[in-house]
Amino acid sequence: MEELGREVVRDYDGREPLLVAPLKASVVFVADLSRAIPIPHALDFLELASYGADADTGGHARIRFLKDLDSEIAGRDVLIVEDVIDTGLTLNYLCKTLALRDPASLAAVTLLDRPYRRLVEDLPVRYVGFTVPDELFVGYGFDLAEQYRNLPDLHVLRPKS
Amino acid sequence: MTLETPDFQAYRGEAPPRFANRSELECAKVLDYYGVPWEYEPRTFVLEQDDDGRVVEAFKPDFYLPEQDLYVEVTVMKQSLVTRKNRKLRKLRERYPDVRVKLFYKRDIERLAERYRLELAS
Repeated sequence: MEELGREVVRDYDGREPLLVAPLKASVVFVADLSRAIPIPHALDFLELASYGADADTGGHARIRFLKDLDSEIAGRDVLIVEDVIDTGLTLNYLCKTLALRDPASLAAVTLLDRPYRRLVEDLPVRYVGFTVPDELFVGYGFDLAEQYRNLPDLHVLRPKS
Repeated sequence: MTLETPDFQAYRGEAPPRFANRSELECAKVLDYYGVPWEYEPRTFVLEQDDDGRVVEAFKPDFYLPEQDLYVEVTVMKQSLVTRKNRKLRKLRERYPDVRVKLFYKRDIERLAERYRLELAS
C-alpha cells in the first residue's frame, strides 16, 4: 500500500487528485490507499448496477449508475480506484462515461489485476497492486454473496474437493 | 436446442446471431450489457489447404470485438477437445500473426457468471 501511495504522490503532487471508488468491493482498498497518500486529495464514490439486477430484461439491459459521483470532475485529475480488473469491461465503461465530463486526466489504480483475462486492452491502468492467478478472492472488501467483506485480509476461496 | 435471442443493442452484425450454446449467449449478453460492440462469427480463417487449394481446415472464432480488434472463442468443451482447439488457435496465430484472438474457457464464463450473477445452464 505504501508503494502504491508513493507512486501516486510522485505523479500527482500539486494536482489534488480525486480518487473515485466504485462501490462496494473497493471501499476497504480506497480507505487504506487514501491514508497512504499524504498529499491533498478528495474522495468520491459511485455504484454501478450489477448485471443480475437487469438480467430479466435480456438484451435491453444496459449498465447504469445506481449512484453517480457527487463531485464535478471537469478539469480535475481523476484516479479510479478498482478492487480488481479482469475483463476490463467495467473500467472501460467507467472511463468512457467519465471522459465525457472533461476531466483533466483519467487513470486507474487496481489492487488486483488479471491481465490475461482482458477483453478490453486500451485502459489507463497506471498502478497495479498485485497481478493474481485466476482464483476467487474474498475478504478485504471482496465478497461472495455479500459475505466475507469484513475479513481483514484477502483469502482465496476454493471449492471443497 | 433453440436459444433465446434478445434484442441486442451493441450487436454490429447483420443477420441475427444463432448461438451454438448457452455460454456463447451469456457472453453476448455481458458484452451487450457493457455496451461493447460485438459481432458473431463474422470471419472464417483458413488454416490448411490441400495441393488443389481446397480448404481442409478452418477456424471461425465466435465473437469479434471491432473496437478492440479482438476475436474471442468461447469453449465449453472438455479438456481433450480444448487442447485441439488450442492447437487451432496456435495455427491461426502462426498463419495470421496480426490477428488477435483469445480463448475463453467455460471456467471464464462461470467466473463472469459469479461476478455478474448470471444464471447458466448446467
